[in-house]
Amino acid sequence: MAIKEKTNTQLFVDGILKENPIFKLALSMCPAVGISTSVMNGILLGTAVLFVQVCSSCTISLVRNYIHPKIRIPTYTLTIATWVTVIDLVLAAYVPVAYKAMGLFVRLIVAFAIITMRLEMFASKEPVGKSFWDGLGMGLGFMFAMMVLGFVRELLGSGMILGYDVLGFKPLLFFVLPCAGFFVVGIMMGFFNWIEVAYNRRKEV
Amino acid sequence: MKEIIKITFALTISCVIAAAAMGLTYTATAKAKKHNHHMNVQNAMIGLLGFGEDNPAPSDLKFLNVYRYIVEDGEKKFLGYMVPVEKGSEEAYEMVLIDLEGNFVEKLEVPISAEKAEEARDRATALQKVLAPPKIFTYADASVIATAGGKRLGYVLPGQFPGFRTFIHALVAMDPKFELLGLEIMEHEEDAGLGKEIEQEYFRNQFKGKTYEKLKTLQVIKKPLPMEYKKYLEKSKWEDGMFTEEHIAEIRKQYKDADIYAITASTISSKAVTDGVKNVAKKFAYRIGKLDSVLKKEKIHAAF
Repeated sequence: MAIKEKTNTQLFVDGILKENPIFKLALSMCPAVGISTSVMNGILLGTAVLFVQVCSSCTISLVRNYIHPKIRIPTYTLTIATWVTVIDLVLAAYVPVAYKAMGLFVRLIVAFAIITMRLEMFASKEPVGKSFWDGLGMGLGFMFAMMVLGFVRELLGSGMILGYDVLGFKPLLFFVLPCAGFFVVGIMMGFFNWIEVAYNRRKEV
Repeated sequence: MKEIIKITFALTISCVIAAAAMGLTYTATAKAKKHNHHMNVQNAMIGLLGFGEDNPAPSDLKFLNVYRYIVEDGEKKFLGYMVPVEKGSEEAYEMVLIDLEGNFVEKLEVPISAEKAEEARDRATALQKVLAPPKIFTYADASVIATAGGKRLGYVLPGQFPGFRTFIHALVAMDPKFELLGLEIMEHEEDAGLGKEIEQEYFRNQFKGKTYEKLKTLQVIKKPLPMEYKKYLEKSKWEDGMFTEEHIAEIRKQYKDADIYAITASTISSKAVTDGVKNVAKKFAYRIGKLDSVLKKEKIHAAF
């Protein structure tokens, strides 16, 4: 596989663009559809995923030689759950302001497919350094995608960006409803694919 | 067979390590977490009573908890109020039992310090001593009475009512005449952009200043919130000179007895909060009336 030849920077950038968890890998669609109703939600959930992804990737990468192959998935889940609990408790104790905004999101992460998939595909095979960069890229990619979705939905649904009234009216309330998540995700996915195709074609010419 | 043992062993070890990590973090953070929660509630209560940066709270402002229990003695049922009482300079607690008609039954001294009384477990241990079986007691709720300089400033009532998704936890503040001082939403899981709007000032502040008479018949109306009223309700967004005093008085007069304007596309959440607040306030007003008359009749010197 080509993964081996990638440099750290490549790993990092690919997580955000070429292998973007939502637009390209189509993982973790539940939160993408459910929670991306505002830019702020995207930032908060993204940050939470970023932390858990990086911590879990590093942990699994560290112990990758000791994991029994038949119980690797339970081990991943256990690792993620432990990190989620630890981050949740630490936030609640020492950063109450952040906890107030992020608490709900942090607890949701245990069930995210993207983290388990990255552990299975990458961290369980690669050294710690590479896993760190991969985790960072994937986390930021997720955050970026959530923010893009949040931007579209918040602007069209509530006429606001980051809570500031920019339009002064609500164009289409439909966009903050859960079903609109599917439309926005689909359209954005197509949009990003189109950009990539166009970019590659230009490179060939 | 060997494989199974290996797997079991590996999983057990992983679980033990994970449990140890979580347990250690919990022990390390439990105290700070509790303190934060306590401060959160405390600050919310101070805010609800109308104190803030430009109107600092009096230094002798005290929040006294009254814990309500349901006490069963065989077939009979009582309401048990654990009230803070003045005993010399110390604060002590007494359990006042009232029957369902509101008549005094019995008062019992509860051996507990004010600090420990805030812990549900310590309270239960202390109560076990005075309410021994066959009496059974069940915790119902706690209300907060705010006092300053020996006078009651108001009540802060924790409310829990079903919203559109799950329970909404709120604090309802009333002055001694049961006029609503404010509403704070503490926890909820309503949808972003829809039911979540119950957190917003333009919704919460509609409750402010509603008299008890109005509150009894308070309803939710499905009409758009008038622009001027909305601007008035969003106090934190006020700019200098946006409203003159006369203007404020005029708006206040106009909307004093108005019903609650529902949030667009979230009538259920709006109604849940309105009904919840109404319920909490009405029940408390009734209960505190009964309790006060008993305390007065029995000459129990409560600390509030």
